[in-house]
Amino acid sequence: MRGLGGLLAGVALLAFGMAPLAQAQDLPRTASGKPDLQGIWQAQTRAAHGLPDHPASEGILAGLGIVAGGSLPYQPWALERQQANFANRLSEDPLNNCYLPGVPRIMALDHPFQIVQEDDHVAQTFEWSQVFRLIYLSDDPSLYEGIESWMGHSRGHWDGDTLVVEVRDFNDRSWLDASGNFHSAAMTLTERYRMLDADTIRYEVTITDPEVFTHPWEFAYDFKRQDQFPRLLEYQCQAEREEANGEFERDERTWYPAPIPQDNAAFDADAGTTLPLPEAVGEIRRLPDGTPDISGYFTSDAGGANYGLESSEGGFLTPRTRGVVVDPDHGGLPYQAWARAEKDDRMLPHRGYDDPTAHCFVAGLPRSHYVPSPFYIVQGRDDIAVLHERMSWRQIALTRTEHLPDGIRLWQGDSIGHWEGDTLVVDSSNFNGKTWLNEAGDVISHMQKMRETFTPVDADTIIYRATVNDPIAYTRPWTIEIPFHRADDELLEVACHEDNNDLEHLKDVRDAFRAGLGEPTSP
Amino acid sequence: MKTRYLAPLAAVALWCGSSQILAHHSFSAEYDAEKPIQITGKVTEMKWSNPHGWIYLDVTGTDGAVTNWALETSAANGLIRRGWRKEDLPAGTVLMVEGWQARNGSPTGNIRSVTFEDGRRLFAGTSNQNAQDEQ
Repeated sequence: MRGLGGLLAGVALLAFGMAPLAQAQDLPRTASGKPDLQGIWQAQTRAAHGLPDHPASEGILAGLGIVAGGSLPYQPWALERQQANFANRLSEDPLNNCYLPGVPRIMALDHPFQIVQEDDHVAQTFEWSQVFRLIYLSDDPSLYEGIESWMGHSRGHWDGDTLVVEVRDFNDRSWLDASGNFHSAAMTLTERYRMLDADTIRYEVTITDPEVFTHPWEFAYDFKRQDQFPRLLEYQCQAEREEANGEFERDERTWYPAPIPQDNAAFDADAGTTLPLPEAVGEIRRLPDGTPDISGYFTSDAGGANYGLESSEGGFLTPRTRGVVVDPDHGGLPYQAWARAEKDDRMLPHRGYDDPTAHCFVAGLPRSHYVPSPFYIVQGRDDIAVLHERMSWRQIALTRTEHLPDGIRLWQGDSIGHWEGDTLVVDSSNFNGKTWLNEAGDVISHMQKMRETFTPVDADTIIYRATVNDPIAYTRPWTIEIPFHRADDELLEVACHEDNNDLEHLKDVRDAFRAGLGEPTSP
Repeated sequence: MKTRYLAPLAAVALWCGSSQILAHHSFSAEYDAEKPIQITGKVTEMKWSNPHGWIYLDVTGTDGAVTNWALETSAANGLIRRGWRKEDLPAGTVLMVEGWQARNGSPTGNIRSVTFEDGRRLFAGTSNQNAQDEQ
């Protein structure tokens, strides 16, 4: 019996010891053997409403607490501040003002987010207001240590199968939840992401903030994989609000589902020239499997395309533009007559308010690639995430074949890509038609269909082309070409709407015009 | 921290001499070519914000009244990439600013140049001249 008992005990011990290993072997893994966190996830918690146990109240769903020990260890003054925050939450909650949510609050929102992963970066893109986080998997210090931001600076490493992320350099403006729990700029976070199975990530956070709390404290919850949509969608908090309250007005000619104007010239879809793809002039970077590696930090040599796609001399406070149109070969955009007139009208001062980017809305495409701000490409297995410093992202799906249903429209469109040789070819549709192509008001509508090519031509240069088909605004397809240059740099944060002092001035100019006062002094 | 230890004036030269602007809206729509300004005052605050930074300047008028002007710079991110940090433009610094006033007539301006007390005249990054070099 002793022998059998010992054998059973040994089997039990063996089974106990084997279980985690068996589980770990079942986890999805990247080519380099790390747990593959990629996919769309959503928090299984009410922590965004309140971190401790809390009843329901206006704007807040009741929820079970997730804080170890039950309550947040506030210093006495800070507890009073939290209570005041709660009392004033309808006006003071940063999220009620569509401000950036900060970390860890963003992780717990009632919106999904996506993870795109490569060996040295993890990108998180969020449905909520096109927010993203870029986690650098590096032991080197940040180039911008000490620069405060809403979302903090994230650096991570793998501890076995757990992704450990240190987040610091926060400002003191975000809240931890909708109940007024808050932090100071001294807050640092340690996040731990550990896959429990293929569809569950355990998320554990330690918060250290000696200015607000008496000691570090912890909480944890799970993310569950989401598959009810074929891709992550968009919720633009500020844009939706301004549309709803009339501060951002519908354009009946370009917004979905505007029809093609009856007096438009016919659209000649075959008129475009198929340009030969650029040829490499040097060795390009490649992933271990041979695929071109287009990841990294890029700036675009756009020649002022954000102030005009055609060549122009510029004017008062409007830069000269090089002209990036390569087809038609005369460099002019093949406008429909109404759209050319509309573009000229948008140049008038009272129309400056109508540019969506003046409201800090998402720039759309291809504009996001030539606004004068850098972007970061994170090249995942199924998706390529492009993180635009002006706090927006685009996803390029590499495995989907069907675009979204026609009725779902996005600021950044729906992009599906594939590799043809060393060129990434991306087809996009489902645009909402709310964007401008630049500050000079070049026109684009919801009927925009676009084929982009990203061709790496040496280790640090991508030649980017975008061919746009839009029968509402144009008579034929047209193509722009812009080089992208890779650099060793990091993204900073552009919290735009949060400190946008310009919009009220632009609105004054528009309102004066509408009141019959004309353009204030000269246009 | 690549350029963290620049002397402030050298940092200003870097900031102002750079050609990159980070506009997010039409400057010509907000500011008025017919309202050039030239004002001298003391910095009360530098707001390191995006999409644009702001220098706030107390300017004493001929009647003795003090007006706090808001003067728009390029985005904080551009300044940070060129080595600027918050401490480099402290309150109390005396500046002469040339630029253009906002069309709505408020004490708001777009900066064409900044001149320090020692006479250095420096561009500030959002001016037309710089904008024309934007790549």
